[in-house]
Amino acid sequence: DVPVLISEDIVISQPAKILNFLRKQKYNADYELSAKQGADTLAYIALLEEKLLPALLHTFWVEAENYCSVTKPWFASRIPFPLNLYLPGKMSREALNRILLTRGGPPLYSLTEVEAQIYRDAKECLNLLSKRLGTSQFFFGNTPTTLDAFVFGFLAPIYKVCFPRVQLQEHLKQLPNLCRFCDDILTCYFRLTVSGHSPSGQDTADVNLQKLTQLVNKESNLIEKMDDNLRKSPQHPPRKLTTLKLATGGEEGSPLNRLSP
Amino acid sequence: LCLQAFLQMCNLPVRVVCRANAEYMSPSGKLPFIHVGNQVVSELGPIVQFVKAKGHSLSDGLDEVQKAEMKAYMELVNNMLLTAELYLQWCDDVTVEEITHPRYGSPYPWPLNRILSYQKQWEIRRKMKAIGWAGKSLEQVLEDVDQCCQALSQRLGTQPYFFNKQPTELDALVFGHLFTILTTQLTTDELSEKVKNYGNLTAFCRRIEQQYFEGHDKDNSATAAARSAKRSLLR
Repeated sequence: DVPVLISEDIVISQPAKILNFLRKQKYNADYELSAKQGADTLAYIALLEEKLLPALLHTFWVEAENYCSVTKPWFASRIPFPLNLYLPGKMSREALNRILLTRGGPPLYSLTEVEAQIYRDAKECLNLLSKRLGTSQFFFGNTPTTLDAFVFGFLAPIYKVCFPRVQLQEHLKQLPNLCRFCDDILTCYFRLTVSGHSPSGQDTADVNLQKLTQLVNKESNLIEKMDDNLRKSPQHPPRKLTTLKLATGGEEGSPLNRLSP
Repeated sequence: LCLQAFLQMCNLPVRVVCRANAEYMSPSGKLPFIHVGNQVVSELGPIVQFVKAKGHSLSDGLDEVQKAEMKAYMELVNNMLLTAELYLQWCDDVTVEEITHPRYGSPYPWPLNRILSYQKQWEIRRKMKAIGWAGKSLEQVLEDVDQCCQALSQRLGTQPYFFNKQPTELDALVFGHLFTILTTQLTTDELSEKVKNYGNLTAFCRRIEQQYFEGHDKDNSATAAARSAKRSLLR
């Protein structure tokens, strides 16, 4: 059962329980929120789970091309034999089951109709999130909260994973503030070292998100190498490189501060 | 009841009728549904859209961010309260035996009443399993309801409605659920106690009841509302 948090001798699964545990240890990203903002958080999380999650599950686990070319090999490569032959198939069936039981049923009689409906709902949900975010950096001002983490958890896989069938990703790319939101969090909190292990938050990272960020890191390493090659050519002034380094250096201190109680 | 409240708030005349085969008459198999002229529309979402297309809407005064918030809160109510209500009716053995089976099967002769209610129960339990609620205990479900009520209470604060002066679809939805929880008799009062803990929510329900349900024939609408609430619970 993932995600799982292992802290000394304690093993906790399920996001809600993990969050409670962390709060008892005095790690709380919502400390500064008002009661109303806390209520808003719950409401938006419910919105994500009802409207966005079915389409996300579908993109990853039910859409045949995506599942066969990306999801299944990805997960199978991380699960030991012989479970890797069985578990991805089981997760795929469970995803389809969940979608059909919660969103299927009359007047939607065929799978294509259900699919059309869930993608419509997901696109509407993305639009709503974009309107709510507006021009602020995070959903409740300048510091991230639990809601930002939840939204990021849903959006980042859509945004970053390269699937053959990408209608949701294309829709997301039309909402620049959400893309900027994902990029900000990726650069602040998921900056990985060369070995591919995140220096902070290892324990609390969703196993899937770890794999995703390693994939993203490989991509960004490639991009950096391309950038380096470009910079070595005479057209690009060296100034660009130093400003980039300053920006990343400046942010180094703040994520650690933000995570402390 | 949510729908009735919504229609009353839009100032549209409505007549509530109880039918045993309501679920079968509905085009989507789900309650509630309305019959207008020669059109039949079911479920709260589509009905709200239909009413909006005819020119009546409660949320026109809201800006985009507020509309997003309203939709989010409506999902919260659907996600938590509705699922908790279904859980309590169909997955809690005591309630199922003493209340749900007799009530759901009451319009039908034996053995049809038992067969239909077992079928419905199996269907609901399957759905609970798919979304991960099957493993929850009653205490956990009540805790979730409490959390949801706390969120609603905090959002409502001291305002008369969720978006200040005018009622919206969210107010109708919340009223429908909370009123039903407060007035339906179950084996224990734990669920209604959870709601009663929040004074502003009970005041909110009373206010809407007085404003929109007592203007009309009091006895008729109150009992009809309670009966239709029971029907909507049986969804």
